[in-house]
Amino acid sequence: MAESQNENKGPATRPIRPGLFVDSGSDGRPKLCGSRCRETGEYFWPKEIMNPTTRKWGTLTESEIDGAGRIVSYTVVARGLPGFASPYALATIALDQGPTLIAQLEDWQGKTLALGQRVELKIGVVSTDKDGTRVMGPKFMPLSS
Amino acid sequence: MSEVFVIGAGMTDFGPQPDAPVHELAFRAAWDAIVASGVPIEKIDIAYAGHAYQGPCFGQKTLMRMGATGFPIVNVENACASGASAVLGVIHAIKAGEAEIGLAIGAEKLTSPGGGFLPVVADDLDSSMGRVMPAAFAMQARMHIDRYGTTKEQMAKVAVKNRRNAMLNPRCHMRKEVSAEEVLAAPMIADPLTRLSCCPVSDGAAAVVIASGAVARRYVTKPVRIAASVLVSGLRTPYGIVDDRSEMSIRASRKAYDLAGIGPADVDVCELHDPFTIAELIHYEDLGFCKPGEAGQFIDAGRSAIGGSVAVSPSGGLLAKGHPLGATGVAQIAELFWQLRGEAGGYQVAGAKVGLAHTVGGGVTKLESGACGVHILVA
Repeated sequence: MAESQNENKGPATRPIRPGLFVDSGSDGRPKLCGSRCRETGEYFWPKEIMNPTTRKWGTLTESEIDGAGRIVSYTVVARGLPGFASPYALATIALDQGPTLIAQLEDWQGKTLALGQRVELKIGVVSTDKDGTRVMGPKFMPLSS
Repeated sequence: MSEVFVIGAGMTDFGPQPDAPVHELAFRAAWDAIVASGVPIEKIDIAYAGHAYQGPCFGQKTLMRMGATGFPIVNVENACASGASAVLGVIHAIKAGEAEIGLAIGAEKLTSPGGGFLPVVADDLDSSMGRVMPAAFAMQARMHIDRYGTTKEQMAKVAVKNRRNAMLNPRCHMRKEVSAEEVLAAPMIADPLTRLSCCPVSDGAAAVVIASGAVARRYVTKPVRIAASVLVSGLRTPYGIVDDRSEMSIRASRKAYDLAGIGPADVDVCELHDPFTIAELIHYEDLGFCKPGEAGQFIDAGRSAIGGSVAVSPSGGLLAKGHPLGATGVAQIAELFWQLRGEAGGYQVAGAKVGLAHTVGGGVTKLESGACGVHILVA
């Protein structure tokens, strides 16, 4: 899915929002784009304007965030909103570097899901616009334990 | 400290009313509340109107039809807690000495005349990732199951109880009894929540007239005292709304209990924010009706039924009465007003003296929720 993003013949794609992720980060794998505090080391995703934890201005720098994490909770959505291919698995993911996010899982069907299960980031199709444009965003692959 | 009382309440039926303009729904609720209170319109000093999606100057458009114009009218949006926020606004104005009598209105219309539902704008990141509300609550359920061994059958019992209560309340949207088996066998929405585990999409309006202690008894012989009015907003939390407890509900209810000088064991009747079955179980624990992890046993033992230790959502709650977003918080206050005056009819909680209204609203990425209101009313 993600690999079709740059193919000439594939359907049009757009990111869910600009500046949330890169397909290929410093180690060649997909990464999230966030902020990191120079003083506390805390990571934020998406990027923040200022550090909402310390309430200080000017301590954040843009930073890549690694996509390794674990499932905090999950569900399988049988009836989603228009544009979302139901059923889909949705999970709350705690990244090892700190931030948490709600995202869809990839290749989850037929796999046993559990709280605490390890996952890794994969950029994929989150939903489809009315005109067929595929909306790309962060998704997570469950890893077998 | 100055005391504040509810002196009148009004409410429309809840349910699909595609052909009734929302201002008309709000008008009917407001008019019924004003008539019940006996307050002449010219004595109203302030009004707050709570809604989520009904457009600008909603309160003015509603009240001008009864010639109620000129005084301050404030429109409030706090998602599902809009109604509770409107009630709080009126109470604050009276406590500040700026008003003697105020009107709180809550209304919402979610169905459209041509059929179907009005589109709700999703500009939140979590929403665009696929986080529909049932999915957020399904993830709460998964955590509660994993941590405490809560069962799907225990969750289903919440829907069974609130539907049963609704059979006694003619204003309810869903008035058919359901069994736990039917709840579990209904079409899946977000595992483990089925369609019958979720509140319906409803239209409706509610209003209450609130007065200072100095004037309340001029109008009614049994005003109902508001012993605590608390609104909190959500903290930035690691998991946002996905947790096996509601920190906001814990924080707001503890503050309300302190202000009222009572504890959870003193509450006779509670109108609780139950958009999904799991939410009611988690909130038993948050509000202190039982210990964390014991909500399943609490419903098993019938402790939250009418006649139990605390009757929870005798009106049918959001699950069965319906959930017209902005109306809900005001409707809860109206229900408690009737309960504490012994006027609730078929779903009256015998001898109810203390009532608690609890509402939570607003999906915001990285916050638990937008706002949580807790009001405690005493007969």
